[in-house]
Amino acid sequence: MAKSSEESPARRTFMMVVIGLISTVIGIALAVPILGEVLSPLFKKRDIVWTKLSAVSDLEKISPLTPKFIPVYFKVKEGWSINTLPRQVIVVKDITGDLHFFSNQCTHLGCPLHWIPARQKFMCPCHGGMFNVLGEVVGGPPPRPLYEWIHKIDKGSVFIQNKFLDNPKERGI
Amino acid sequence: MFKKIQDWFDERIGLTELINEFNGERIPRRGGWAYTFGSLLAFLFTIQVVTGIFLLFYYVPYFPIARNATYFIKHHVMLGNVLLGIHLWGAFTMIFFLLVHMSRVYFSGAYKKPRELQWVVGMVLFSVVVILGLTGYMLIGNENSWWTINVLTNVASHTPVIGGFLRIIIRGGTETSVITMQHIFAVHVWLLPAVVMLFIPIHLFMIRKTGHQGMALEYKNNKLPDDDPNKWIRPDGTVPFFPDQFYKDMIVALGVFAVIYILAVVVGAPVGPMYRPLALNFAPEADWYFLANEELLKYFPGHGLIIFSTFLVPTIGFMILFALPFIDRGHERSPFKRPAATVLGILFLLLLVYLTLIGGEPKAPATV
Repeated sequence: MAKSSEESPARRTFMMVVIGLISTVIGIALAVPILGEVLSPLFKKRDIVWTKLSAVSDLEKISPLTPKFIPVYFKVKEGWSINTLPRQVIVVKDITGDLHFFSNQCTHLGCPLHWIPARQKFMCPCHGGMFNVLGEVVGGPPPRPLYEWIHKIDKGSVFIQNKFLDNPKERGI
Repeated sequence: MFKKIQDWFDERIGLTELINEFNGERIPRRGGWAYTFGSLLAFLFTIQVVTGIFLLFYYVPYFPIARNATYFIKHHVMLGNVLLGIHLWGAFTMIFFLLVHMSRVYFSGAYKKPRELQWVVGMVLFSVVVILGLTGYMLIGNENSWWTINVLTNVASHTPVIGGFLRIIIRGGTETSVITMQHIFAVHVWLLPAVVMLFIPIHLFMIRKTGHQGMALEYKNNKLPDDDPNKWIRPDGTVPFFPDQFYKDMIVALGVFAVIYILAVVVGAPVGPMYRPLALNFAPEADWYFLANEELLKYFPGHGLIIFSTFLVPTIGFMILFALPFIDRGHERSPFKRPAATVLGILFLLLLVYLTLIGGEPKAPATV
C-alpha cells in the first residue's frame, strides 16, 4: 500500500506536484480554445467593398465650401451575416474645385457631427469637438482632422470604400 | 410535525446549528441603520438577477431587432413594462446605493486593517456593477445604445499598446455589428453576473472572518487609545444579525423596493427611438452615472493629451480607490479625527456631483 502524506513528506510533495500539474494542464487546455475564440476577430480580414456614391457631374454642381451629406450603403460581411452599413459621406468642394469626401464621425470618439450653418462649423454633440468645413480641428478635444473616405472616380461616378484614408489604427467607421 | 422534519435534517446535516451559525453573527449595536446598505445591495442584485432572467424570455440581442424586442416587452407583454421598469430603476438604485455604501465605508474608516481586502473586493464589485450598467444601456438597442457602444469602444481603443486590438476584440470586428451586440449580451447576462455572484460571498465571508467591527461611535466606552488595533475588536454592545440587524435590513429593503416599484410603474423604462446611423441631428447621451466621466472626455484636447481623459485619469483614479486601504494606513477611524481624509472625500464627492451636473447639459445644440 502506498504511504499517506502524513507518513512520508516526500509522498506529500509528490502529491502536491501532481495536483498542481493536473490543474495546470486542464487550465491551459481550456484557456487555449477560449483565447482563440475571444481573439478570433483579430485574425479575420475585414470585408472591403466599393460602393457607388454619385455621379461626378452632380457633385461638381454643389456650391463651394458648403458640405453636402450623401448617405452611402455598404453591403459587408460581418460575422455570420451580410449587413448593410448606412454611413454619411460629407462632400465638400474647396475653392480650387477639388472634392473632399469626409466621414461625419468625430475623430475624437466617433459621435455623429452636426453641421451648424450659422457658424460654418461641424460640431460634435458629445464632447464639443469643432471642425471647419475643410475638416480641420478648430476646437475641442479631437486629436486629428476629419477622416476622409477612400474614393475613386470610375466612368464618371464616384465610388467610396468602407475605409478611411490615412488611418493606420483603423479608428472610426 | 415541524419539529420532526427539523430533527430529520439535524440528524443528517446539523441544519439548525448551521442556521444559527449564519444568523447568530454579532453586529455592533449603535450604527445598525448605517450597516443596512450592504445587504440592501445584495437584495437589489437579487432583484436584478430575477427580473433579468425573465426579461430574457422575450429579448433578442440582434442589433436592429434588440430595440424592437425591448419595445415589445414594454408595450405588448403583459406587465412587461413593470418588469422592465424594475430592472432599469433597480439598476439605477443599485449604482446609487453602491456610492452611498462606499461613502459610508470611506468616511467611517471601515476599510482599515484588518478589512483592507474587503475594500478591494468591494471595488471589484463596484467596477463590475458599473460595467453591468453600461452594457445594459447598450442592450436596449436604441439610438443611444448604438452611439454608446461606438464611443466606449473608441475610448477603449486609446488604451496604450493594446487599445486597437481591444476594440476589435470587443466589437468582434472593426465595426459595430451583430457580433458586438452578442458580445455585450454575453458579458451582461452571464460573465459579469457570475463575477458578482462569486465576489459577494467573498465579501461576506471576509466580514465574518474579521469579526464585528463598526464605526467609531461603537467604541465610546472603550478606554484604549485610537492607535491601538485592539480597540477596534471590542465594540460597546452587539446584537445578533438575526433578527435585530435583519429586521432593519428588511425595512430599508422594503422602502427602497417600494420606490423602485413606484418609479417602474409611474415613470417606467424609456425605450427610445430606433438607431439611425445616418442621423444628422442626434445628440447621444450617457446615463447619469457616467456623466462625470463623459464630462472628463471634453477636456485634454489634441493628439498627445487625449490619453489623459480616455485612459490615464480614470485608470489612476480607480487605482487610487483600489489601493485606498494601503495608502491610508492609520488606525484612526472617526471622520472627525482624520480631517484630511474626510475633507478629501467630501471634495471628491462634490467634484463628482459637479461634473455630473455640467456633464448633463447639452453640448452643441443643433440649432445654434
